[in-house]
Amino acid sequence: MTILLRLAAPLQSWGVGSKFDRRGTERVPTKSGVIGLCAAAIGISRENKEKIHELSSLKFGVRVDRPGVLLRDYHTAKSGKTAYVTNRYYLADAKFTAGLEGVEALLHDIDAALRRPAFPLFLGRRSCPPEGKVALGIVKESLLDALRTDAGWEYISYDGDGVYLVRDVPVSFSQIRREYGFRCVEQISAEKQIGEIEDEIDWFKESEMP
Amino acid sequence: MNNNRLYIDIHILQTVPPSCINRDDVGAPKTAVYGGVTRARVSSQSWKKAVRDIFSKELAENEVGVRTKRIADMVAKEIYALNPEYDKTAVKTDAEKVLQLAGLQEKSTKAGKDAPLFFMSVSQAKALAKLVVEDEILKSDAKDMQKKKGTDPKAQKALTDNPAIDVALFGRMVADDPGLNTDATTQVAHAISTHKVENEFDYFTAVDDFPAEEKTDAGAGMIGTVEFNSSTLYRYATVAVHDLQRKLGAATAKAVGTFVDVFARAMPTGKQNTFANRTIPDAVLVTIRGDQPVNFVGAFENPVKPKNGYFAGSVEQLIKKVNETYSDWLAEPEKSFVVGAALGAPDVLAALGTTVEKVKLDALAKKIEEYLNDHTS
Repeated sequence: MTILLRLAAPLQSWGVGSKFDRRGTERVPTKSGVIGLCAAAIGISRENKEKIHELSSLKFGVRVDRPGVLLRDYHTAKSGKTAYVTNRYYLADAKFTAGLEGVEALLHDIDAALRRPAFPLFLGRRSCPPEGKVALGIVKESLLDALRTDAGWEYISYDGDGVYLVRDVPVSFSQIRREYGFRCVEQISAEKQIGEIEDEIDWFKESEMP
Repeated sequence: MNNNRLYIDIHILQTVPPSCINRDDVGAPKTAVYGGVTRARVSSQSWKKAVRDIFSKELAENEVGVRTKRIADMVAKEIYALNPEYDKTAVKTDAEKVLQLAGLQEKSTKAGKDAPLFFMSVSQAKALAKLVVEDEILKSDAKDMQKKKGTDPKAQKALTDNPAIDVALFGRMVADDPGLNTDATTQVAHAISTHKVENEFDYFTAVDDFPAEEKTDAGAGMIGTVEFNSSTLYRYATVAVHDLQRKLGAATAKAVGTFVDVFARAMPTGKQNTFANRTIPDAVLVTIRGDQPVNFVGAFENPVKPKNGYFAGSVEQLIKKVNETYSDWLAEPEKSFVVGAALGAPDVLAALGTTVEKVKLDALAKKIEEYLNDHTS
């Protein structure tokens, strides 16, 4: 069972560990951002580690339908005479489909909440409200089968066994102490379907060097 | 958690002449790519600042947050109001102490150069003063003050309850103690043009009006360029009324009405003396929904082509999107209000649903307040 979410808007911003003056964005939605969006929809408090853990245990993946372009927003805030300068990065014109795989009951809770959210939803930053539909419903397929449709997409990034670590698994969204754990991320691109990945060239094997 | 939902969405189409409302570090009007083409952009923080400025000018003192370094003086003033006999030598330090009990650091409570600006409502200052004068919190918790970061739940509550309208709407961030942070109940999107724009340059020369008699300084006194664009903007904001109600209680309906009105009228001050771009919205659509907020910016993903300007085409695409949304996806809103001739035309009104009502801009706040008072407990 997989729930699908459409993440589209003029601007989105998915930061990982960016603090203070420079707020970056990843190229794809983060697990913390999407879990946070679901938690906000359900109305889970920032400190409720148990419920957040339940959500972050879902298998997460995201399909890049339109990668968008990077935008730097120069932002000043005045306090007295000196201006405090920050740079905030956004993805403009991007479109993603995110999926969460897991137990049906929880997926149903998320789906219902996305259609009747407790708090307004946003795509990584509060100034990025989603455009149009977010909840695309629940499908029977596994995460990868649900995301791997044949229509024009670029790549899929998902919770896998890879060695690429991203620290974006939310433990607590507490205002006092945010906590995140690591996850392994794997990617497949549109040209290389999952079964073909194993047939790729092994670059470390001398005899097969092209 | 209460299961009620009530969202107010504000959709505005507003045309601005050549202007540079919100610029980046090289002075160029901000832009963003959407639908594959460059759009004019005014950041959400810029428009929110303009809204907050109107709030602090027009709302009564006890309704808006005061952003100040002199918070201890604010509390001291309220202590005197409660007890004019209060010890003059101790009042300032007692005010500082109660603020520290509420979670602020010493440097934040003393109005020094390094003190941050703190957003506090007059009601919060009054509640803290009451704790000092009537509940004698400083005496009862003397032990706590010995601790380095001694805080008192009662004082913390005083500083988080009864937020000012603007604090409840826009939130508050406290670096000292994130426990005092308040999440915003409004969401304001970056405004973007409904159509493609290209920034233009205004090359200017300034003449020296008092040149040297020998004419040795022929030529311009100064030259430069100002970058600008003109656009029809789509502006969107939403308020989680049910969430705001938890914070403001009975004051909610008025706060929402005021916010919608102020959001519609506000204009950031960037380069306003140069361009006099102080326009009012051409079309306002307010929708009140019991399920979810809906942002119609997708109406303009396909950039509007000029056809007697951009406004007519923008209205056409907006209405098409609204219609598709109501017929294919979501129910009609519980209530809609429109402002402006373009959305108020009879055939357009019919297309916007059965609960729509045409109003004047200056009546919008009152109408929303009345509706919310009648339809929320």
